[in-house]
Amino acid sequence: MRARVAEAWVEAPLQRFVDDARVQFALLLHPSGQVLGQFGFTRAVDVMAACALGAAIHASAGELGKELDGHPFRELYHAGRDRQVFIAEAPTARGALVLLTAFDAESSLGLVQVYFRELRDALRDAAPPPVESGPALDVNFEQDLNRSLAVLFGRAQSPAPGDAGAPRPPA
Amino acid sequence: MSTPYTDVLSAVTRQRGVLGCILVSEADGIIVEANVQVGIEAGVAGALVASLYRRARLGTDAAGLATVGFLQLEAEQGHVCAVGRDGLVLATLAEPKAHIGLIRSAMLHAMEALP
Amino acid sequence: MRAHRVPQPEQPVPLVNYATREITCKIVYYGPGRSGKTTNLHYIYGQVPNERKGTMVSLATQTDRTLFFDFLPLDLGSISGFNTRFQLYTVPGQVYYHSTRKLVLQGADGVVFVADSQVRQLDENIESMQDLHSNLAEHGMDVRTVPLVLQYNKQDLPPDLVLGTAALDHALNFRGVPAFAAGALHGTGVFETLRGISELVLRRLSTAGSPATPSTAHAGSR
Repeated sequence: MRARVAEAWVEAPLQRFVDDARVQFALLLHPSGQVLGQFGFTRAVDVMAACALGAAIHASAGELGKELDGHPFRELYHAGRDRQVFIAEAPTARGALVLLTAFDAESSLGLVQVYFRELRDALRDAAPPPVESGPALDVNFEQDLNRSLAVLFGRAQSPAPGDAGAPRPPA
Repeated sequence: MSTPYTDVLSAVTRQRGVLGCILVSEADGIIVEANVQVGIEAGVAGALVASLYRRARLGTDAAGLATVGFLQLEAEQGHVCAVGRDGLVLATLAEPKAHIGLIRSAMLHAMEALP
Repeated sequence: MRAHRVPQPEQPVPLVNYATREITCKIVYYGPGRSGKTTNLHYIYGQVPNERKGTMVSLATQTDRTLFFDFLPLDLGSISGFNTRFQLYTVPGQVYYHSTRKLVLQGADGVVFVADSQVRQLDENIESMQDLHSNLAEHGMDVRTVPLVLQYNKQDLPPDLVLGTAALDHALNFRGVPAFAAGALHGTGVFETLRGISELVLRRLSTAGSPATPSTAHAGSR
């Protein structure tokens, strides 16, 4: 399985991390909860939920660290019954990113930490400077938006696959 | 700062040709205690050797050969040795010319002496 | 409690993946406690077909008060050729959850301010709006330009208990942003509110580019 990314520069570092650390799931996200890359998930909506929770945990741990230690906690580890979760921050020229990864007995916290440091360095080196993005949507996007929302709320017939407003297959 | 494991590791690192000795948790690859020469990344080596030892132990178990007594790898520029007990792995990094027999003996004694 | 400054100010920009033609937007429902933020999300969750939504995550207390946030991911489908997804968040309304409100607001592409229309809640609404401005500023977001709509919820209560939209506009809507009368418990105005904020957020990504024309468009019923 390959990592799926929203920005190309994170793909190689994330894929290498996944391959080396032998993790089951990996998410690379903005601290706001927006996903930049993922490995192991099949539905985009599941990715978004995991990102929201991961970002919340990271933000909470950071604030807790400030309260208790004067500095934010940058890494967090949680041992579950079968799976373990590791969350850590990687500063880049594009701002801080957060890695959330889950692994089982195939890997270990030590290995994940080792390869996270490699990932962090690779992201730091690969991050392009921030760029102003141009317009993405047509001027008349409202028509598509209204149709999509009407479908969501059951106020219109669902469009045929391929039509504007039709959902794409899950990421 | 001295810990209950300091003397155990010293007994191994005082052997000729030993570059470093790392006591690491087998399950999570986290270092308990390390005594390595400058330039050796104990965290990286410890995590990887623990993973290797764990797989070797699972392999011998699965093959019905009981547990791993001693694991040795020969690399171009030295040796990696590992022994395990009670969820801990003692990893030793040594030069090519090091006397592996003595190191093995020191490591096995060290593991018996673990608190 | 000490106030912590966020080191890297940010302007909200929806995440756009030009390669896979995907857009992801974060929309935060803000407002005082018990104003109906979670009710909005519950209604939306109940309306949207399963294949277009993810699991609704609610980090709530045992009495169902929002502790950290509620979260609902939505798949809007294709808009101008971009597969568009919304992440809807609520914040905890109670005053003492200031820290968590600030965390949830981080990186928001748009904000829905859910006001409680009851007369006795006016002060709480104003205080919450001030809290929103303060938190936006702390995140380096421009209060005057961030996509924002107001929802005047509970307009379905008896008229003597609630303020009218004009009075609420006067108290809260200093920017003249779109405002929607609503009764979220029964779904009135929820759709219109979501459409309103969606339009403002996505307009930032359109070739039109310019900020939305300030207008007050009351929708829903009183």
